[in-house]
Amino acid sequence: MYWPGWFIFLSPLIGAPIALAVGKRYKSLAGIIASLAVGGALVASIITFFFVDAGTVVSNSSKLYVVTGQYAYNHYLWFFNIDIGIFIDRLSIMMALMVSFVSLMIHLFALYYMKNDPNKHVYFAETSLFTAGMLGLVVASNLVVFFLFWELVGLCSYLLIGFWFFKPNATAAAKKAFIVTRVGDLLFLVGMAILYDSLVGFPGLGSNSPLSIPFLINNASLIASYIGKNTLGIVAVLFLAGAAGKSAQFPLHVWIPDAMEGPTTVSALIHAATMVTAGVYLVARVFNIFYAAAPFALYSVAILGAFTAVFAGIIGIFVNDIKRILAYSTISQIGYMFAAIGLGGLFGYAAVPLGMFHLVVHAVFKALLFMAAGAILIALMDLRDTRDMGGLWRKMPMTVTLLFIGSLALIAFPGTAGYFSKDSIISASWLYYAHYGTAWSFIPWIFLATGSLLTTLYTFRMFFRVSLGKPRSHLAEHAKDPSVWALIPLFILAAGALLLGLIQTPFYNFITPEAFVPSVPIYIEAIPITLLAIGLIVTYVLYGTDRWRHMDFSKNRLYRLAKNKFYLDTLFTNIIAERVITPVSGGIATFENAYNNAVDRTGSGTLSLGSFFRKLQDGVVENYFVVLIIGISIVFIIMLLAGLM
Amino acid sequence: MFILILFIIMVLASVVSFGFMDRRREYALIATAIFLVATIVYSILRFSTGYGSGGFRSESVYNLAPSIGIAFSIGVSGFADALLILSGIVIFIAAFIAGKHEFTQTMYSYIMITEVGLYGILISRDFLFFYIFWEVVLIPVYFMVAQYGGRNKDHVSLKFFVYTHIGSVFLLLAIFTVYAYHYDATGVFTFEIGALMQSKYIEMIPTALRYFAVFGFLFAFLVKMPSFPLHSWLPDTYETSPYPGTVILAGGLSLMGGYGLFGILMPIYSSLGTSVLQLLVALGIISLLYFSFTALIQKNLKRMMAFASAGAMGFVTLSFGAGLLEGTKYTASLELAGGMFQIVAHGLIMAMIFTALYFIKMSTGKETTYGLGGIYREVPMLSTFLLAGLLASLGLPGLAGFIGEFSILVGSFAAIGWLILLVILGMIVTASYHIWAAQRSLYGPYNENLGKIADLTPSRFAILIGTFAAIFILGIVPNLIYGILVSYVGGII
Repeated sequence: MYWPGWFIFLSPLIGAPIALAVGKRYKSLAGIIASLAVGGALVASIITFFFVDAGTVVSNSSKLYVVTGQYAYNHYLWFFNIDIGIFIDRLSIMMALMVSFVSLMIHLFALYYMKNDPNKHVYFAETSLFTAGMLGLVVASNLVVFFLFWELVGLCSYLLIGFWFFKPNATAAAKKAFIVTRVGDLLFLVGMAILYDSLVGFPGLGSNSPLSIPFLINNASLIASYIGKNTLGIVAVLFLAGAAGKSAQFPLHVWIPDAMEGPTTVSALIHAATMVTAGVYLVARVFNIFYAAAPFALYSVAILGAFTAVFAGIIGIFVNDIKRILAYSTISQIGYMFAAIGLGGLFGYAAVPLGMFHLVVHAVFKALLFMAAGAILIALMDLRDTRDMGGLWRKMPMTVTLLFIGSLALIAFPGTAGYFSKDSIISASWLYYAHYGTAWSFIPWIFLATGSLLTTLYTFRMFFRVSLGKPRSHLAEHAKDPSVWALIPLFILAAGALLLGLIQTPFYNFITPEAFVPSVPIYIEAIPITLLAIGLIVTYVLYGTDRWRHMDFSKNRLYRLAKNKFYLDTLFTNIIAERVITPVSGGIATFENAYNNAVDRTGSGTLSLGSFFRKLQDGVVENYFVVLIIGISIVFIIMLLAGLM
Repeated sequence: MFILILFIIMVLASVVSFGFMDRRREYALIATAIFLVATIVYSILRFSTGYGSGGFRSESVYNLAPSIGIAFSIGVSGFADALLILSGIVIFIAAFIAGKHEFTQTMYSYIMITEVGLYGILISRDFLFFYIFWEVVLIPVYFMVAQYGGRNKDHVSLKFFVYTHIGSVFLLLAIFTVYAYHYDATGVFTFEIGALMQSKYIEMIPTALRYFAVFGFLFAFLVKMPSFPLHSWLPDTYETSPYPGTVILAGGLSLMGGYGLFGILMPIYSSLGTSVLQLLVALGIISLLYFSFTALIQKNLKRMMAFASAGAMGFVTLSFGAGLLEGTKYTASLELAGGMFQIVAHGLIMAMIFTALYFIKMSTGKETTYGLGGIYREVPMLSTFLLAGLLASLGLPGLAGFIGEFSILVGSFAAIGWLILLVILGMIVTASYHIWAAQRSLYGPYNENLGKIADLTPSRFAILIGTFAAIFILGIVPNLIYGILVSYVGGII
């Protein structure tokens, strides 16, 4: 048994109840305990990293992932033939490192951010539990265990969105998040059910658990030929539905902007850096299933991602709430990751590092952006409307500079880490088109390239409104930077957002030796950068000055469409929930009442029949005799008629 | 032998309980706690090792009237053992939460007699005694509702009694049918369940009467489950019954239906007929959907959870039908074991939810969603427990409910294919109203009309944490009972 691997998730899991119990008495200790527990997870991840790194990896030409090198796989029977245990290979340790590192940074910042909250022991216990869930998901050896942690992080997300339970908005958002992701989760469960049932009788199964991840990875092509590529494709698409729910992809993305009602550190941890990337990780984890299935599986991953990248980007341009802008950018960036992995239909497993690198880089700069926004919101008493900010660069130079660095990384400004991770995806999507040359294969590239314009538009629309011009509210005028100590985690993350590009090639090669940095003709390479430059100029002209205040699009139909989030929330809430589910439920409940009354009436009918007959029992013997005679006569008549006598 | 002695002590103890006028609560608590511990010890001794082939343990027979085949015959299967522990826990919880000030002394005797009835059902291997204990359970529960119930208690308790009694009558007729034809075939009078419930004898019954017998059994069991359309007694009874009674109804009485299906009917699965099994699958799915949708717009939390309980039992009906349709397929044992696990999990979860609701009712005097609101601010611990119960009930992994629902879902796909999407729809609706109930009653702005309310006392905390621990442990280490359930299925199929 490779025990340090277990501590990756056990450390915060044990830390959570301790933080709750100790923190109840000594409030200020809760955050420290939680941070130590998460730090323990980081240490365990680093130790495991060296363990995994020590193995030598053999290259292969199958385009599938082959479990090779040194990895940890300890598993025990859970129930029936489902295993419980850990499986740590190069992919999972990379993810575990990212999660524990970013989570630690956010925990440290939360020491400052949640300083005055009376329930902070609950907060830290829940974030610690969340980290445990996320890390458990990363190292899980079986899809059912994966699903267990998958739901645990969903639960923590629910609890933390509703952390300020007295805010009606927050609890409504928590409810929405839970139910929407539950839809995806249950589809994921159906996918597992189909896979499990199809694998019964599979000759290669042996003593393996049918849903064991290493088993699925190693036998993907055999499984595909045993159960049929199309069935496996359906399984993959159902997995994708689960991933889309968790990772907020179209059309299940509607919960995440509302989830911004939670504390900002929660948004940073759960709804930007870690949990929402779990779906991407799922697809990367069982990539072989997607690749071995019919081609539509990975193609739908690519299209879903590319479409969401554009879709969320468009909405993001018309939002004013600073956190919601960042939320839409998260949806959009996760779309890039999905698209990258979806390109694996051509590149095989070599596409996974493209997505994973963007995942890691995105976690770093998005955590930075959210925490910088959090620092601003503390100074502004939680005023989130960017229209009421302005001029903050002068008022809060440190924080806004950090926000600026994060924004540069987000728009993939050349030289920042975001450029290396995102531009490679766009280039790879061009190669995808160049290889197939069909209109269908052109879609990812055109969407992703357009996405870089949209990213710049919404990011710098937000940034210029926040930082330049004159303060547009009383609060903004009196905003102040937090102390340098509080911002230390942000500085670390900012360094990452600037410099992580340096490790691009080592990262790719760590994940798989077949990885490559895509290179495309210079005129293709230039397109996203040109779009980025156009975006910067447009936003500076409009939002760097006061010009935007005189713009009025409210008559424009496209504007209204995007402003109303393409009416998807309306569709789900007002049409499906209120016009379909509620009336159906009302109808069934009405039927239930009627049915219940009918049963009652049958009962009371019997009773009244009884009270009618009771009148005959009046104690007068003569009457009894009359009834007796009548009864006997009737019996005789019947018998006569029936010919029995 | 152990279980027989335990059972006799239990009978005596429940009779003696009438004697303890003032200290009956303490007496009942100590007695039920001892019974629970004894059952657990017994299970560890007899079932933790070597329950490989799945048969019965602790069998003994005492012939009372050999000429007509009446015997007091007992035996415990792995499944019955799991349910024994469940009923021990549920009864203990009911006795524990029945406060001295809310109930007079008789309540505790009722609770103890219910326990006798439940244990009797589970250990009887003789149809006559099975039937007697089946009836014994009804009486104390009827009195609980009639004596301590809420609004409309006379009407509701009568309805409960008559409705479930009609089920029992059909059960008796079915038993006599099987008994008579067994005599026809073998010339031996016996009420022994193991002897009567064999496919080779059942198949000798003329078709019409065979279906009548099967119908009689199913009717009795589905009333208890309860399954659509035989559920009309349920919402009223759950709502009107005092909370300890509701705990017993949800945790104890629903297991009778499940035990009837899996413990009594499963051995004759091959003569049930495909159409009957398909009917059960349909009833299971319809129950799940029907009760979820009905629960969605309930305003009274107790009534809503009554429907939730019935909906969760829909999974059990579904698993029975679908699992037996699969016959000897590999997934069948997953499915059936999942169904049985679900009975146990459901009993514990519902006991926890109703306990938490009871404490809320006692603190605030309210049990409707609009009457509560934001109580998390005042009673964080109690709210957290209710939330935990609700999450367990909607099948959150890591808690006991998930293991059963996962097994059933995975197993069902092999039998019913894409109809599983209807189950998924039911689960989504289930999740919706659970979460909606939590949001509406626990979170949001505090309803200041409630004034100041007190959080859990240590003893209430203990009972809730204990129940939750059981749910959590079964969710993390399901093999504590899953293994014996699989062996039990393996012994039959």
